[in-house]
Formats: sequence, structure tokens, C-alpha cells
Amino acid sequence: MRMGGGSGRPGGRGAAGKDAKSGPRKKFFVRRRKVCKFCAEKLEYIDWKDIKLLQGFIPERGKILPRRISGTCALHQRKLQTAIKRARSIALLPYATD
Amino acid sequence: MRLYDIVVLVTPDLADEDAAKVAGEYKKILVDGGATVVKEEPWGKRRLAFPIGRRREAHYVYWQVQSEPAAVAEAERRMGLSDQVLRHLAVRVDEELKRQAKMTERLRKKAIKRPPRPPALPTEAAPAALERAERAERSES
Repeated sequence: MRMGGGSGRPGGRGAAGKDAKSGPRKKFFVRRRKVCKFCAEKLEYIDWKDIKLLQGFIPERGKILPRRISGTCALHQRKLQTAIKRARSIALLPYATD
Repeated sequence: MRLYDIVVLVTPDLADEDAAKVAGEYKKILVDGGATVVKEEPWGKRRLAFPIGRRREAHYVYWQVQSEPAAVAEAERRMGLSDQVLRHLAVRVDEELKRQAKMTERLRKKAIKRPPRPPALPTEAAPAALERAERAERSES
């Protein structure tokens, strides 16, 4: 694998942090890399009965949190999506709130 | 035979026992159709996330059932006809669970194969050995 281009050079956390300030990319704060929660916990099956888990992906409005914000990987986002929709169909989660 | 998760929402108009009785009818249909109940969890009266037919609560009953598809289909059909059942959901879960089990199994094997953690054992064994030596010394004197 090559080094990640753009923001956040891998392996450049500790000592390299200070040098980075004088580097060319100093204007913006370094974004934390988002990791898919389900990949991190090695969860393959997302249970639609586990409302506590699903609720973490339901913002106030009741919509499903987009991948771009939660950092969930595509595979798990799809599974999450069906799980949330199932939970909605039996009124465990709202379709919409305001 | 397949494994299903089934949830039934019974009207809150009924008392707890009556609701259990209504749910029991559907369980009977499943069992008569050759199903075996793996798990049974009455979740009790829960608030609905949104009102269904003016009702804000419902009795939730959950089963995990090993069954033929036909029995589940029949039970679902009857649930749909009943006025006392607000909602119902039956989902086949065996394949997903199998995949999960395979995954955890693979992880477990990997964990065994890779780090037997050499430093952990000696440090744990060392104090015990010391103690034993000490005790031996004491008994000698």
C-alpha cells in the first residue's frame, strides 16, 4: 500500500506532529480518520432488535446517518440500512421526527 | 428448516394476559406447522416510535423459531387478518447468523495461531515458583 495522499500521513503521529506545523499543509486542522464501527468490532450481523446500537445512527430528525458522517463502510452501511428499516416497520424506531 | 426472528405487536387495548393469549395463538400455528421455538421473549408493553391507528403503545412479543417457511407464511397471513395485531415482522436469520459465527470462529483461530504471548507466561509463573521455593525453604528449616 502506498502512503495516503492528501491529509493525514500514516505513521506521522507522534514525533512528526511538530514538524508538520512548519510543513506545507498547515492551514487546516488534521482530521481524525473515521473507522467503520462494525469493522472495528468485527460485527458481521447487525441485529435489527438492537435498538440501542441502531439509535446511534439515527440523528434527531430520525433519518439514517449518512456514511460520509459516521464513517461506516459501504458493506456495513447497507446492512445497517436494512436493520434500521426493519426496526422502523415495527415501530421500534421512528420514520421521521420533528 | 430455517431460523426466523418473529415479532408481533398486539393492541394495548388488551390486558397483558389477553395479549399473551393472542400471541399464543400464533405460536400454536407455528408449532402445529412443525416449528420449534428456540427463544421466547415477551418484551412487554412498549411505547411505539410513532402512533399506529391512534395507539401509542403495544405489547411486543418476540420469538426465535426453527421452522419450515410454510408455517411462518401461514402465521403471518393470519396476523395480517387480525385486528388485534398492529404489526408483525418475520425475518429469516439463519444465514446471517451463520456468517457471523464463521467470522468469529475465524478470528478465534487467528488469535490462537498468532500471539501465544511469550512474556505473559514466565512473569505469571515466576512469583508462583518463588513462593514454592520459599515454602520449601521454610519447611526445611
